Amino acid sequence: MIITSVKPFEEILAILEDEDDIFIIGCNVCAEKLRTGGEPEVLEMCRRLEESGKHVVGWTLPTAACSIRSFESLVEKNEEINKARCILVMGCGSGVSTVAIVTEVPVYGSNNTLSLGGASGGELISNQCIMCGNCNVGEFGGLCPKAQCPKGLLNGPCGGAVDGMCEVNKENECIWNLIYERLKKIKRLDLLYVVHAPQEHCLK
Amino acid sequence: MLFNFREKLNSSKFLVTAEVSPPKGTSFSVPLEDARQLKGIADALNVTDNQCSIMHMNSLAFSKLLLEDGHDPIMQLTCRDRNRIGLQSDLLGAHALGIRNVCLMTGDFPSCGDQPGSKPVYDLDSVQLLQVVKKLNSGVDFAGNKLDGGTSFCTGAVSGINPEKPLQLIKLEKKVKCGADFIQTQAVFDVGMFEEFIEAINHLDVPLIAGLIPLRSLSMAEFMNENISGISVPEEIMFRMKAAPDPVDEGLTIASETIKEFMKLSRGVHIMPIGSHKNTPKLLSMAGVSDK
Repeated sequence: MIITSVKPFEEILAILEDEDDIFIIGCNVCAEKLRTGGEPEVLEMCRRLEESGKHVVGWTLPTAACSIRSFESLVEKNEEINKARCILVMGCGSGVSTVAIVTEVPVYGSNNTLSLGGASGGELISNQCIMCGNCNVGEFGGLCPKAQCPKGLLNGPCGGAVDGMCEVNKENECIWNLIYERLKKIKRLDLLYVVHAPQEHCLK
Repeated sequence: MLFNFREKLNSSKFLVTAEVSPPKGTSFSVPLEDARQLKGIADALNVTDNQCSIMHMNSLAFSKLLLEDGHDPIMQLTCRDRNRIGLQSDLLGAHALGIRNVCLMTGDFPSCGDQPGSKPVYDLDSVQLLQVVKKLNSGVDFAGNKLDGGTSFCTGAVSGINPEKPLQLIKLEKKVKCGADFIQTQAVFDVGMFEEFIEAINHLDVPLIAGLIPLRSLSMAEFMNENISGISVPEEIMFRMKAAPDPVDEGLTIASETIKEFMKLSRGVHIMPIGSHKNTPKLLSMAGVSDK
């Protein structure tokens, strides 16, 4: 799941300052789950924009804002999009970009895209993967330090953790402690002695 | 007579290294003057690399200024600000300018410092940076390309001293495996813990230079206990600092006693005064190591 958060409404209004006749595209996958771009949020956005003096020509909720076949497929869902002078996408950055590829008018995003994460036990979990294109997460017991250590350290923790909590995000336990516990549980502490080469950035 | 730090490292001499910081600005007379107090008593001076992520003059330039002033600098280099191209290029430049010792570390996160929005680089980690220097020392770069003149760095790394942190111990083992010629430790206050640490890494053949921060007040000890990773000031020392009529003097007495213990346990002491070195000559004299 792509983790997004809603921009403050004032910021969205500022982005749309010189725009009108807005068409809104939500996202029925990640943003719907996170309540940053499902139907209730899209309707609320329509209402608040109208209240702020903006004209919303219509809205639609494709299955995924990041998976749009063509402009015609959007017209099929709501032909009011033909009247739009701009589009506000309530999905992740990928959704905004995908809509921009198939449309001719200015496209804006109402969310900030934070990380690739998920949810478990009713809790949101962020920063699970950085999509490095060179997955070796199994060598770390299934917990990725590239994503979950702010420094992306592959050969063990930095010296910065205080009482086992991350130097950077002080409310998070150092991921290396969790990796240690996982590897201990699966009887693979030997993996901690592997000297890992740096991540290659030319692979993608 | 021993000339450089590597030769001293290979001798049986008890070594003294001390931390100095480049200036925040282009004027360098004050930190250079501070370093002059250590002439003849410190074997080498560690030059911090934008310590605590607070932007300063770079460690390379200040190391060169120290070299010209007659010191043997240990240029610290962190992984925070440069990718592998920048790090290698700075290492070649440092070597060309006569710098022969480096100490490599991960580096504090940018958000700790005064430019909190900086992009955190960490293209390499400290273990991988040690591998880089090993390669440069063998005449090739990290990608394997031959260099027109390789380096001959004496390479240090850092470590915490808590024997109950297996991850830190394993990382230290990797650092030694990847070419660390010496290890400078986090500040030691609990000598008993340090002895256990030495026991835990007994299988590693690497000279240890034990870190030391002279205390100046009880509140400084309390602050470090709560905020600095790997530092634990024992109750007994807290009590002595609390009871002392002159906490600075008491801090020096405690530090000198600690150095005397280090002389039995480690290859040297690394003094990090947090501030100026005005008391360092006195401290070394109290500990009986300044008679060179």
